[in-house]
Order: sequence, then structure tokens, then C-alpha cells
Amino acid sequence: MMKKVGEVVLLWLLILFIQIAAGEGYSPPGKPTNISCRSPEKETFTCWWQPGSDGGLPTTYALYYRKEGSERVFECPDYKTAGKNSCFFSKNVTSIWVNYNITVVATNSMGNTFSNPVDIDVVYIVKPNPPEEVVVSVTEDKDWPFLQVSWKPPKMADTRSGWITLIYEVRLKLENENKWEELSAGQRKIFKIYSLRSGGTYDVQVRCKPDHGFWSEWSPTTRVKVPEYLPQERSMWILIVVFAAFILIICIWMIYMNFHSVKHYLLPPVPGPKIKGIDKQLLKSGKSEDIFSSLVVSNFPPTTSNYEDFLVQYLEVYVPEERELIMDEGKDLQDDSFKTENSTCDNDSGRGSCDSHTLLIDKGGGDKDDGQQTDQEGSQAEAETKSHEEVMEEEHLACCHENAQIPNISKEKEKVKSWPSLFSPLPQYSLSPVNRPNKPKMGNQHCLSDGLFTPNSLSSYFTQPGPSTTKGFRSNYWECSLDHKQSHLLHPQTAAHEHLQAENDLNAAYVDYMGAPLDVHELSVRPTEYVEVQRVSDEDVVLLHPVTPSQENSYTVSHQTEDYSRVRMVNNNNGLLLLQRDDIEEEKNMCPYEEEMVSRATSTGCRASVTPTLQNSATGINTALPILDEKAASGYVDTATMFGLPTY
Amino acid sequence: MGAKCSKRAKKTATGPRRRRRRNRLRTCRTDERTMAQRRISGGKLFITAVYLVAMCRAVPVNDLLDRASQRSDKMHSLSTLLTQEMDSHFPPYGRMQMPRPADCHTSILQTPNDKEQALQVSESDLMSLARSLLRGWVDPLAVLSTNAITLPHPAKSSISSKIQELQEHSKSLADGLDILSGKMGPAAQTISFLPYTGGTDLGQDRVTILNKFNFLLSCLRRDSHKIDSFLKVLRCRAAKLQPELC
Repeated sequence: MMKKVGEVVLLWLLILFIQIAAGEGYSPPGKPTNISCRSPEKETFTCWWQPGSDGGLPTTYALYYRKEGSERVFECPDYKTAGKNSCFFSKNVTSIWVNYNITVVATNSMGNTFSNPVDIDVVYIVKPNPPEEVVVSVTEDKDWPFLQVSWKPPKMADTRSGWITLIYEVRLKLENENKWEELSAGQRKIFKIYSLRSGGTYDVQVRCKPDHGFWSEWSPTTRVKVPEYLPQERSMWILIVVFAAFILIICIWMIYMNFHSVKHYLLPPVPGPKIKGIDKQLLKSGKSEDIFSSLVVSNFPPTTSNYEDFLVQYLEVYVPEERELIMDEGKDLQDDSFKTENSTCDNDSGRGSCDSHTLLIDKGGGDKDDGQQTDQEGSQAEAETKSHEEVMEEEHLACCHENAQIPNISKEKEKVKSWPSLFSPLPQYSLSPVNRPNKPKMGNQHCLSDGLFTPNSLSSYFTQPGPSTTKGFRSNYWECSLDHKQSHLLHPQTAAHEHLQAENDLNAAYVDYMGAPLDVHELSVRPTEYVEVQRVSDEDVVLLHPVTPSQENSYTVSHQTEDYSRVRMVNNNNGLLLLQRDDIEEEKNMCPYEEEMVSRATSTGCRASVTPTLQNSATGINTALPILDEKAASGYVDTATMFGLPTY
Repeated sequence: MGAKCSKRAKKTATGPRRRRRRNRLRTCRTDERTMAQRRISGGKLFITAVYLVAMCRAVPVNDLLDRASQRSDKMHSLSTLLTQEMDSHFPPYGRMQMPRPADCHTSILQTPNDKEQALQVSESDLMSLARSLLRGWVDPLAVLSTNAITLPHPAKSSISSKIQELQEHSKSLADGLDILSGKMGPAAQTISFLPYTGGTDLGQDRVTILNKFNFLLSCLRRDSHKIDSFLKVLRCRAAKLQPELC
């Protein structure tokens, strides 16, 4: 009974003891791990291990090794030299080309634990010490310095006898960089580094490795500074800046010189309105009533039954006799005139459309004879007028300017595309106002008042031929012309208004005589309703020929040689001074010139009128009256715009 | 002869006698010159011959040793790669569980065990050791080569190519060492016979074959290291003229 109780108590005590022991965490030690051995010189070696948990109890470690070919177990001779958890094998106990079987045992009061055995051969675990005495020097070499790194092998390694063969490696980096640059040096102990940064500071390290082994640790860093050897780059930058500034100045200068063309290219000017009959000044003044009144055509839609009136806008008067004379006179001038005209006129400049007078000649008067007579009679006047050719040309030019858009002559193959084209080739009239010095800009002889010449009025004029009036007309014309010339002579540069007054007077004089029929024909009086401008001679003479309704073909001109008159000039009121022509052949001879003249005229047809005749009339027909030539007295055709468009 | 020439030249000569004497003088001088030239050429020849002999003896040995050590270094690197390649698919842990095979067939050859012993060995003995080891591995390499083709290992093709390369290196190194040993004396000529008794067949089952293959490769690795070490010691000993190498 007592024994049993004792056993029970003992059992309880044992259980308690065990429980206490377990509760406090006592256990056998953990297994040592990571046994690694290294030999610095292939003569000795050291092994380290990682201890496991100690089990809460003081644990001791022991290393046992066994050599190859022998079962004898040795314990580590030296636990202290190499530090904690290590074993140092001295030369005496180190054999090479022999396998070592090493085991580490952890022991504590609870038990012991064996680590996994490790087989090593000393020759395979060589890891030398870092190289020693690393010296880095900066060596100057023709202003290109380089680093010379020299070192010594670690003391322990016996490289002299060839026992260990070491391979070296150098690495360097700039002071403030993170990445090293590694360079292999082979078996040499001196290494040169080129391509250094001027003024930089370098860190240099060296390490070594046996031919079959592990790399050593890097040697301590050696710092060295490279002197400044590169020339300052400021001079180059200064040069670049100066050069760039120079180029910039040149570019600015070029742009400045070509400012207008550049501006024109980038910002093309906005074209102005080109509506016929629109007066720009009126637009600016803001009087809409006036503007629109100018647009309003009282006679539109045309009441005339015959629509051919509108088709035929040119009065062609063929005066063959006078043509030659005029041609001879004006040949020289035409060339110049053409050139100047071509140079100065541009059709679409956007600076304001040209005067858009459309000269309309509904019916050609039969003033061919008158034209002839005027030519003959006016030979003297011609001589006189020659001196005033400049003025006349100017006037003609003014007329040209005004007459911008003239519809083509449909009936004639030799089409005159624009009214100014008809007049531009007129002799000595094609003068650019700019070039002539003494040209009075106001040199406009208003022998005809504006607004008087509507198609109907023209037709009325032409349908009522009266021989008596033509002569009177002619004389009056001459008077006009002479007066006008005189006015020009006396006042070559009179003011615009004065000129206008004179012109208006002349116009008034003209008007009176314009009442007379124009188609007074010496040879035959034939009422002809239509006058076509057959062509424009090279003398800037518009050849007109009357066309009867039954005779629309231009080739029937031959029968109407008498009726042709040549347009001598154009007056400011878009009046065509017609000259009579007798010879068709002459007219025909002039055919080849027409195209040329027409082409030239078209280029110059759209010139802005220089005349200050803007203020003349509400209808705005302000054309400069050319100096009336005696030749033109007979063949005068007033060509007002159909719609009475104002001039510019 | 020179004295004779000088005596004759002392007398002054006039007229035809002068010419005769001059001629005699000329011939005398030319004779002297030729004799001197012959002497000089002979001396030069002799010196060059001696120099060549001396040079032929010293420099080529050092250069040959350098080349030999480089080849042995390459051999050892190859064998190290082979073992690593074998272990990549055959962990050493598994290998350790198998019973260790017997020692390498070359273990009968007495080689130094540490540095002091190695440095005390003479050059001729070192050369002999190296040559013996090299000769002893000719057959095993052949066995390895034949077995590598059918080796139950995923990297057998790479292993096979490396073994073939090893064979080539071994052959050329053996030839080079034969030439070198001829210059080093009779002791270098002796080669210990290290027979391989393992047979051509490595085993029947996969594990046995692999185990034996591994064992042979480890033996090869060690022996190639020995050869490399011996030759490098020899190189540094012969490179007294070029201390920067060692």
C-alpha cells in the first residue's frame, strides 16, 4: 500500500518535472547549418558553421572531421583563432588533395544534434586575402593624365613559388557615382587607366582570385584626384553664341528688307469689292441711297425690243483713209504705251477695282465721213495735238482706266474684250500717268457730260443723222479739243476742280452738238442702228463699223466701207471719237494688230482712273476727255455706260 | 705579315719602281684585309652559334611551360564544369547516401600532400608526376567518352562534348610534356604506369552508372588540378628571367 503510494508520488513527481522542463522550453540543440570552409593560401583553412537553436540550454559545438581513406575521426584543433562558431585548421593538420568529411555537433544537456556532413577539398576552397599596398598615382602624359594603379599580392599567398597563381581585377568609379567600372588586369600587378574626367575624383579598388578559386574581398578604397587638363569650353560657347547672334541679325535684316513681300505673303490683302458701278467713296461715306441709286438702272429691264442692242456694245467705225495716218503716227508711241500699260496695270490687285465703265455703243453713227473729214481737217490740229500727246495719252489712259469691263464683241471674230482695250492702243494715249511729268491728272476733257449717254440716247443720236450737225459737231469738237488743249497748255497742272469745270464746259458744248446726229455721212447717209467695233488698230484706234440689223456679219463690211470710222480717242465720258474710214483693206490690214492690241489693251484696261472726275456726277461717269482730234470729229461716238455706273 | 707589309712600305719609290712597290703594297694590304675579315667572320659565326644554342635552350622551355600550364588550366576548368553539370541534376545529398567507391586508380602514385612537400620536389620529378598522371587518364577518358553518349542524364550531350574536348587537350598536353621532358633530364622521362581497372562498363542500373560516372569525374578533377599545380610550379621555377609572372 505504501509502496504503491510511493510509486504514484514518484510518478507524479516525474510527470511534474517533465512538465516543468517542457514548459520552460528546454530541448536539444538545433542542427548546425551552413558549414563553409575557406583557405586563404592553400595551406590552412577555416570552417564556419551556423548554430541552430540552443534549446534554452547552454550548448557546445564540436567539429569532427575525417580524412579520406581513413576512418579516424579528429576533432577541430582550434576553435578560437577564427572566432566564434569556427574551426581553424593549421598547416599541420591541413592536407591538400584530400577529402575532408566534416561534421559539427551541437550538444546541450538535453542532447546533441549532428549537422549534415560536408566534403571539402582544400584546393577547391581557396579564397585569398585582398591585394595589399594599393598605390594609385596620377601620371602626366602629354597633357593627358592617366592613373597608374599598382599593388602587391596578399602576404599569405605564395605566388613567388607558383604555389598560387593569382588573377587581379581593378575597379574604379567617380567620387559621387554609384556604379563601379571593373577592369581585368590578369596576372600583372600594375594597371594603367586612361580617359579620365578632368578634375574628377576617383575611387580605386583591387581584388584577386586564384586560378581555380574564389574572389577575394575588395581592397580598401584609394581616392585620387585628377587634375584639370581639358581646356575650358567657355571659349567655344562664346563662339557659338556670337555666331548664332550674327545669323539671327542677318535673318532679321533680310526679313526687314523683304517685309512687304513677307507681309504680302503671309497676310494677303483683302480684295475690294468689284461690283460695277459701286463707288468706293460712296460706300465709305455711308450713303447707302446713293450707292444703290447708282446701281439702279432706270432702264432695266431694257425696254427695247431688240436685245441685240445689249449684245453689241461696241461701235465699230471703219475709216480706212485716216487709219494709215494715225497708224504711222502712233506706232512708235504704241510700243511704249503697251509696255507702260502692261507694267502698270494689274487686273486684280485688290486695291479697288478699276473703273467699271462699260462703254456701250449701241448704234454706230454714220460719221465715217465726218471722221474722214475730221482727219483731213484735223491734220493741222494733229500737228498741234502732237505736242499735247502726252496729255492726250494721259486722258486716254484715264479713259482706259475707267473702262474696266467691257463685254466682248460677240459679232466680230476679232473680239475686243474690254473697252479699255479698245482705247488703250490708241496712239499716244497709252501713257501711264505716272511716267509723264506734266500730265495733269485732271487732264480730262469732258466734252461730254456724264449721264447723257445712255444706250437709248446713243441710239437716238445715231438714228437721227444729220449732216449739218456733224460738221458743227466737228467744229465744236475741235473747239472742245482746242479749248481743252489750251486749258492744258495754260494749266498743265491745274487743280482737279478747275479742270473739271473746263471739262464740264466742254461737255456742255459737246452736249449741244451731240444732239445732232452723228451719222452724218458725206458719201452716203444711211441710218444705221448698230455700230460694232471691229477692231482696235495698233494706233489705239478703235475701228468701228456700223452694222445694220440685216448685216451682222462682219464680212459684209466691205459694203460699208464708207460707214466705218475709226475711233480716234476716248473722252472722259466714255465717248468714242470716231474717225471715218474709207478703206476697208486698211482696216483689214490692221487685223493682225488687233489681237495684239486687244491683248495689250486687256492688260491695261483695268486701270484705275487717275482722273479726279469722281465728283463730277452722281451717275459718276467721269472720264477724261481726250483731246479731240480734228479727225475724230466726224466719228464721235459717245459711249456712256449702260447703267450709268459711276467712275472711280 | 703586317710587319712585312709595313717594312716594304717605308721605302720611297720613284719611277717604275714606285709602281712596282705600290703594287706590292696594295697586294699586301689586301691580304691583310682578307685575313682580318676572315677572322671577324669566323668569330661572328662562332658567337652566333653559341648564342643560338644558349637561347634555344632557355627561352623555349619557359615558353613551352607557359603553354603547358595554360593547357592544363583549361583541362581543369573543363573537369570542374563537368562535375558541376553532373551535380545540377544529381544532388550531392543523394550521392552521399550511396556507399563511397574505392579510391581513384591514380591514388597509388605518391604526390605531395602539402605545399612544403610540393616545393621540395625537383623539377624532373614534378614533370614525371605530371606526365604519369596524364598518361594514366587516357584510358579512363575513353571510357567516359563512350559512356557519356548513353548516360542517363539530361545534360549528356554537353557532358559528352566536354569530355571529348578534354581528350584533345590531354593529348596535346602529353605531346608538349614529352618535348619538355626531353630537355629536362632522364628523371623526367620516367613515367609511372597507372592502369585503369574499372573496365569499359560502368554499371547496369542508372544509379550505379551515374555514381561511377560522378566518381570518375571527381578523380579526374583532382588529378587535373595536380597536373596544373605541378606545371605552374615548374613555370615559376623556370621563369627566373621573368619574375613578373610569379
